[in-house]
Amino acid sequence: MSAYGTTRHHGQPSANSTPASTTLFRRLTWEGTVPLEIRVDSKELPANSDRGLECYYIQAPRVSYLPLLMPEIRRFLMDVVFDEAAGKMLKEEEWWFESEEGTLLKWHWPIGLIYDNHIISASIRPPSQTSTSHYNLQVTPLKLILHLASPPTEKLLLSPSAESCKQAFMGQLKEADFVRWGNTKRMTGLRKQDQDGIWEGIKEHNFDDYWRVASKIVPTTAPARSNSPPPSTNPSMHTRPPPADPQSAPDRDNAYNVRSVPVRLYLPDGPVMQDVVPPTLEDGSAHTLVHYLSTHLPLLFPPAPYSGPELAYAMMHGVLVPPDAEMAWLGACMAGADGWFSAVANTLDLALFTTIISQRWRRLGVEELAPKLRIESTPDARSLPVGGDEQA
Amino acid sequence: MASGSPDDSGRQATLPWTPGDVSESATEALQALDTYKKKDPSKVVVRFKAVGNAPIMRQNFYKITASNRFQAVIQFLRKELGWKAGDPLFTYINLAFSPAPDDTVSNLYKSFATEGHLIVNYSTTAAWG
Repeated sequence: MSAYGTTRHHGQPSANSTPASTTLFRRLTWEGTVPLEIRVDSKELPANSDRGLECYYIQAPRVSYLPLLMPEIRRFLMDVVFDEAAGKMLKEEEWWFESEEGTLLKWHWPIGLIYDNHIISASIRPPSQTSTSHYNLQVTPLKLILHLASPPTEKLLLSPSAESCKQAFMGQLKEADFVRWGNTKRMTGLRKQDQDGIWEGIKEHNFDDYWRVASKIVPTTAPARSNSPPPSTNPSMHTRPPPADPQSAPDRDNAYNVRSVPVRLYLPDGPVMQDVVPPTLEDGSAHTLVHYLSTHLPLLFPPAPYSGPELAYAMMHGVLVPPDAEMAWLGACMAGADGWFSAVANTLDLALFTTIISQRWRRLGVEELAPKLRIESTPDARSLPVGGDEQA
Repeated sequence: MASGSPDDSGRQATLPWTPGDVSESATEALQALDTYKKKDPSKVVVRFKAVGNAPIMRQNFYKITASNRFQAVIQFLRKELGWKAGDPLFTYINLAFSPAPDDTVSNLYKSFATEGHLIVNYSTTAAWG
C-alpha cells in the first residue's frame, strides 16, 4: 500500500496529482482516534450476566459513527457479559447512547465530533464532576452509557440503524457538495457502486477505499491556474456548463474555486454555526481561520488590532489549528469523512491559558518562567506539525 | 497576535499580562459564550415546493423562527399537510439534499437561501436517495 495514497495517471499532466502534503493530512485526519468507554446501563443487564466485565473500551476512529461500532460491542457483550439466552434478545435497532451526564448522543454525528463537543461542553461546567478534564488537555475516555431498549425516538429524530446512518452520511456529503459548487452533480454523478463503495470505506475504515471515491468529489489543492473563473455566488441550483477545454476541468475542482467551504463551528453547549465561507476575501487574500473566527465570534476572537490576552481557542480533530491556516485548504485536507470540517471553539480558562503560554516560553528557552503544568497532546496530534505551533 | 516577546537573551522576559488581566478576560469570555447562546428570535421566510405527486398547499410561504431545528419544520409541514407521523414525507433543500434534522433554519437560510427565502421541497417518495 503506497504511503501517500493514490495518484491517477490517466494521461493527465502531473499538476493534477494530489500533492504529498495533502495526502499526508488526509491520512492523519483519517487515522485520528478517540478513546471511548462503553458501559451498559446496569439496570438493563440481565440477572445472570457477569457484572464485573461490563465496560468495553474502544479506540474509535474519529470519522466513524456509533452505529458502526455496534457489531463489535455486540460481540463483546455476547462473549463476556450476556449468556446465550439473553444474548439472543439483543436488538441493535433499539440501542441508544447517553453521556455520563445524561445527554442523549446524536449518533449521526461523527464520533470525533461527539468527543470534542463533549470535552468543550464539560469544561465549562463546574469542575465538581470530573476533576481531570477541566484543567488540562489530557485525553480521557469519553464515558458512554449504552441502553439496550426503549430508545427515545422523538428526541433521537432518526432510528440508529446502519442504513439510516448511511443515508445521513450521504446527506452530509451532498450538502457539502452543494455548499462548494451550488449543485450536487459530483455526488449524483457517482455510480451506485461508488456511492456504496464510499460508505464501505467508512464501515471498514479503509483509507484507500474511501478516497478512491472521495477523490472524485473533494476539491484538490494543487495551485489553481488563473484562467479558471470562479463559480457563480448565487447559491441556486443553476449550474455553469462545463468548460469545453478538458485541460481546465481539474481547475474547476480546486479548493480555492469553491463558492463556499463546508465548515461548522461548535461552541460548548451550542450553538452550531454555519454560513457562507468564501475561499478568498474581497481583497483577494486567502480566507484564514483567524478571519473566520473573528468574523463569526468577535467577542471570543477579537479582530485585529487587538493586543489583550487571548480569550478562546479553536480545535479541529482535537488539535489546535494555526490561525493563519487557510479555510479552503482546511476544507480540502482536514475535513471529516462526511465532507465537513468542524471547528470547536472554547474559552481559555486561566490554567489552560497559562499552560499554552508556558509552552511557548519553554520553546523559546525561558525554562524558569514556565509553570509546571503541561499540555499532553493527543497521541494522533503528536505526529502533526500543527497544534501549539503559534508564533510569538 | 500579542503575546509579548522576550528580549534577545530570552532571560529577562516576563509574562505579558498579570493573572488579574487574564481572569478578567476569562470572565469576559464566559459572558461572550452566554451572548452567543441566546436564541435568535428573528424569523426567515421558508418556501415550500411540492415535488411529484405531493399535494400543493394553499399557502407556500411561511415565516419561521430562525432558531428552530429543521426537525420542527418537518413537523410543521406534516401538520399543514394533515399527514400522520407514519406517512412518508421526504424533504430537500433546493431539490439537492436532505439536511440533518438538527440543523437550524438559521444556518440553512444563511447558507442556501435564494431571493430572500429558503426553498424546502417535499415529496412522498425518496427522489434523491
